[in-house]
Amino acid sequence: MNRHRPARALSRALALSFSSTAAAAAAPSSLPAFPLKQVTKSNFEPALAELRSHVRAADFVAIDLEMTGVTSAPWRESFEFDRSDVRYLKVKDSAEKFAIVQFGVCPFRWDSSKQAFIAYPHNFYIFPRQELTIDGSSYEFLCQTASIDFLAKYQFDFNACIREGISYISIQQEGEVLRRLNLAYEDDAPATGYNLKEVRDVPLLRMGDVLFTERMKNRFNEWRDWLLQPQSGEFQFQGSSNDSKQQFQTLFFKMRPAISLSGFTSHQLRLIQLVIRKNFEDLSYVCVNGENCVSQQLVVFTVSKDDRDLIMKEIKDERRKQAEMKIQAAVGFRHVIDLLSSEQKLIVGHNCFLDIAHVHNKFVGPLPLTAEEFVSSINKYFPFIIDTKILLNTHHILQQRMKKSKTSLSSAFAMLCPHIALSVSGGLAFDSGVKVEAQVDNLRCSNWNSGAKHEAGYDAFMTGCIFAQACSHVGIDFKHHFSCENLAYNEKLQKHVNLLYLSWTNADIIDLSTGNKVTETLETNPKRQFSNILFENIVLIWGFPSKLKARDIRNCISKVFGLTSVTSVYHLDETAVFVQFSNTEFVFNFLSLKETLEKSGDDPVSVLNPLTELLEGGNTRAAAYEAYKDICSSPMSKVLFADQAEVFGTKWKTQLVESKVAIDIQKDETSVQKT
Amino acid sequence: MALIRKRFFCSEFPKKWAVKQVTKSNFAESLEEMKGHISSSDFVAVSLQKTGSFSAPWHRALPFDTAETAYCKAKRSAERYQLFQFAVCPFSVDSSKLVAYPYNYLLFPRDELKVGMPCYNFSCQTSYLTSMAREGFDFNACIYDGISYLSRAQESEAKVWIGNPRSSLLVVDSTSSPSVADNIFSERIKSRVLRWKNACKKPNKSTNDALMSSLRKLISGSEYYESRPCISIDVCSEHQVQLALEMLREFSDELVPVLIPGKSGGTQAVRVVLTSSKEDKDLFERELQRLEEEENKKVRGFREVIDLISASQKPIVSYNSLTDLTFIHSKFIAPLPPTLDEFASSLRHVFPNVLDVSHLMKVIGPLRKMTNVPLAISYLNNHFFAPVDIEIPYQATENESRIHGHNVVRISHLFAKLCSILKIGHSSTTSDSTILSAPALEEYTNVFDALSTSSEESVNEDISVWTKNTRKVSCEQLVFLWGFGGGKTAGKLKSLLNNSHTTFSKEFDIRFVDKSCAVIVFWQPGLAETFIDVMNNIEEISGPLREMVSEGLRAASYETYKRVCKLDIWEADLAESLDKALEDPDHHLTEVNPIVTPIEIQWSGDSMINYNDL
Repeated sequence: MNRHRPARALSRALALSFSSTAAAAAAPSSLPAFPLKQVTKSNFEPALAELRSHVRAADFVAIDLEMTGVTSAPWRESFEFDRSDVRYLKVKDSAEKFAIVQFGVCPFRWDSSKQAFIAYPHNFYIFPRQELTIDGSSYEFLCQTASIDFLAKYQFDFNACIREGISYISIQQEGEVLRRLNLAYEDDAPATGYNLKEVRDVPLLRMGDVLFTERMKNRFNEWRDWLLQPQSGEFQFQGSSNDSKQQFQTLFFKMRPAISLSGFTSHQLRLIQLVIRKNFEDLSYVCVNGENCVSQQLVVFTVSKDDRDLIMKEIKDERRKQAEMKIQAAVGFRHVIDLLSSEQKLIVGHNCFLDIAHVHNKFVGPLPLTAEEFVSSINKYFPFIIDTKILLNTHHILQQRMKKSKTSLSSAFAMLCPHIALSVSGGLAFDSGVKVEAQVDNLRCSNWNSGAKHEAGYDAFMTGCIFAQACSHVGIDFKHHFSCENLAYNEKLQKHVNLLYLSWTNADIIDLSTGNKVTETLETNPKRQFSNILFENIVLIWGFPSKLKARDIRNCISKVFGLTSVTSVYHLDETAVFVQFSNTEFVFNFLSLKETLEKSGDDPVSVLNPLTELLEGGNTRAAAYEAYKDICSSPMSKVLFADQAEVFGTKWKTQLVESKVAIDIQKDETSVQKT
Repeated sequence: MALIRKRFFCSEFPKKWAVKQVTKSNFAESLEEMKGHISSSDFVAVSLQKTGSFSAPWHRALPFDTAETAYCKAKRSAERYQLFQFAVCPFSVDSSKLVAYPYNYLLFPRDELKVGMPCYNFSCQTSYLTSMAREGFDFNACIYDGISYLSRAQESEAKVWIGNPRSSLLVVDSTSSPSVADNIFSERIKSRVLRWKNACKKPNKSTNDALMSSLRKLISGSEYYESRPCISIDVCSEHQVQLALEMLREFSDELVPVLIPGKSGGTQAVRVVLTSSKEDKDLFERELQRLEEEENKKVRGFREVIDLISASQKPIVSYNSLTDLTFIHSKFIAPLPPTLDEFASSLRHVFPNVLDVSHLMKVIGPLRKMTNVPLAISYLNNHFFAPVDIEIPYQATENESRIHGHNVVRISHLFAKLCSILKIGHSSTTSDSTILSAPALEEYTNVFDALSTSSEESVNEDISVWTKNTRKVSCEQLVFLWGFGGGKTAGKLKSLLNNSHTTFSKEFDIRFVDKSCAVIVFWQPGLAETFIDVMNNIEEISGPLREMVSEGLRAASYETYKRVCKLDIWEADLAESLDKALEDPDHHLTEVNPIVTPIEIQWSGDSMINYNDL
């Protein structure tokens, strides 16, 4: 999985140097930098409004993400020995632990007058700043050192991201805070306290408190009497002492006379609140949020109980509105996701299963436990997703075009869209290319230096260009009868819509609309070497002496079970291996032999067994493949597999006994699947 | 609270405080300078900027934590988060004058050697990053130009991986007699080396044509190692390396063996280099050593600073020594050991004296809430007259207008003030050793040493500082309670429990640890145990408690809490963790020593968790 990053980086770098030299040769004059709309907190609102109209008019929208990392431990990387459920667990772990730092969104619209696509590349800086306290826990994310370093190599602006990044909350989180808000306003909470909490009756212990309470009682009495006086000549209430003038200021609050309390400590305010509640029926203590979020304490005079209830309700509603607005503001970047979802546009990504998982986890809600549930959940929000990597690898016309070259983003871009990649507009050699113009803030450009920074916005642009070109190759004619029909329904694409690579290394494909998993056939994907992995034949071994390498382990086991017993040995990391046996029987035999040897200890027969070399040190553990799935589903991530597995500790001993049964069941399952 | 803090950050410390900012580019030069400053100073203050501290409210050190559970929490935090800034300030105190040399190092755990070290990944708490951003921290500078490092443990591990030749170390293994195969191997390489050596020495005037020499080269495998002739002996095991080295001892006056590491660790070959004379041999060996040293410097990175401080044996001054030193140990020394005892003893080898200013503060006042240095300083300013002049002998350069690492100067300042108030080191003949032997300091040097020994008196001593507003309570008197449903206040829960069972008829108190879990203290000894027993035999009880249990109420002793910390069960909710710890089938395994003297902890009268600090 994280091999994909450096590989992409390398090919990007190659494409970069290639294209920049070519560009320099073609047009030595200064070229405008690639136009990319940079969006941060400060310009988010207007940018979103603009994006709305672009997305509405778009034929498809390309996306790309930059994350703080891909794998939380080396043994969670993508392996050939990943069963599809394990593969999903790895993606899930990645999406849950790492943060999105950049989100590229690029709507593409066909402009028939220009006979070209107009692209609007947007580059959003995202940061999971905690704007609301949702459940008391703090926001936290993981950074993979190598990924951060990779971003730094491409001059990623971390300051912009952390200081100016747009925050967000998921649909699920929003629902949760709204629910809690409703709960808080449903029960008849008085509008007195700031957080709607009743002040408890506390016995006045200190003499000072008693005196203060008495004084306040008198003060409020005076004020009320003054209010009720038939013709009070003075406009402003004069208290008995001059000092109180600053603290007691008469004003009108919602058409009712009120005293604004200022200069009191919170303890004094609490006492005042008690005094009011105990002694005055027609006065109420309220706390309102004034401008600049400064809360203001008031004592309001109400003529009747109804009047009082009315004003309390008014305050409550106001406060609720404020809280709702705050929640609305906290939705932040998710407005973009909501927009993409509500417009039901075709979403285009490149090898984007992980990206989509991130989108689900950050903007929809926690990822479900299985790939099938995930797929059905995401399908509700994004009914049409197309993956350019799958398109290039599975469509026979495109396969021929690609001539088995690499399908990484930048090499596919260089291969399919040389007219864009090389910044040669209208060059004779590339006449066949679909024309694309990028537009940012009314500034259009079809001739740019693609040596621009490789950011999410630019990657999304490249993905869209590849898709447009691929469409043209498979025979979708934009120029002539290209109407407003949804591209997703186009018969030439339909077979490829909503398919994503669950695992590129294994060519496992998942269908988002049905949840079915298919595997590409051998002919179509030359990468697929491990076509015959039988997971029920696999044993996971860890904690063995570190000097043993794959070859030693194979030798060691072959000595016991025969030369052909081991099909392959594969290192997860330096502390663990997968051993694939040629027969399921060996799995059980191996596990039980291991157990007998460990039990028998130092008796001479077992010491002579070749397997003791593997068990040296007494920390060697082994389990059937299922254990790997269990360990992958744990939220913890220790760097070394052996350390991670150790946490599960004794569970294995009990599982060992059951493993035989488990194997038998699995056998049945696979035979069912095969039929 | 936030406002106060802000004010201190902004106003109290003028910009003229020059803190040297160090990144990759000026690291080497600063190191020499720093060396001098450390040796001329009495103390070294440190202050760390971390990317986070705890991911859930109960993961922070709480008033009812024992030294051991507090260590577990600090350990988790140190393993999980990263350091972005490390401020070091060698300083001396002379009566009321503080001479300080503050440095602020930007760190980033870049994998400079491409060996997956120093760390594969690290966690960030967004609130930490946000507040750093607010203070103007430059993340780009940190990530692009931060200094990397390897811990001591990682360095020795990495040496195997780094593809640089090493000078050899012969381990004489006399116990095993050489086998036939060994003899054959030794003889074979010996004859090859001899042949090659002779060929090299033979003045080949006669056959001077290029063809012959290149043929000879091909046959003997002769090469050049920086102008000196050499050949490589391929080896397939460390044992063969030893055999080769053993054999080469015979020629030690002329031949120098150099080990060539393989790609996946271990040794791939032994290269034998022919030197022309004794002087040449010495020269070559020195050169090898210098190269190795240079390589090591590159590998250690920022750890050089830690090694300098350690080598100086100067006392370390820190504000929160448990947090700071667990981070330092885990990043720059070795992975943290599982227990506090092991940690304290491992640390003692590196830093024999660690002074904790926050503990020192307790000598003079009930400063339990002094959670940060500026607040502590302002407390001292308000209550004592102890002016301390700060002198920083170097000037700020222009590009250091945005200065970080002020906190380390504040810690030095606070320490100097405390010394002055406590009349430590006032005599004119003060030297480091006498300062340290001042009774107050002695008591607060290496607090974890004191805490880790489970001797009765040290625990009591600690409590005497706190008695003003805490009541003594044994861990055994605490019970954790959860599963009572949401939306309850401590008061509500208390009144519910009051009528539920006889154990609650005596005095007890209740506090929430987090939203899911509360802790009860039974002031009468023995009742906690009774209550746990009752909860374990629920079929025998009836009434309201039974009702609550059917609603999901659960309880666990302090032992279970300790196990949660020990086993690293760090769920977001304490209730979840306690549940898991109870589920664990072999939990009795960890309770092997039941006769541990009960550790007493402090029960604070205030609510225990300050949510504002989250």
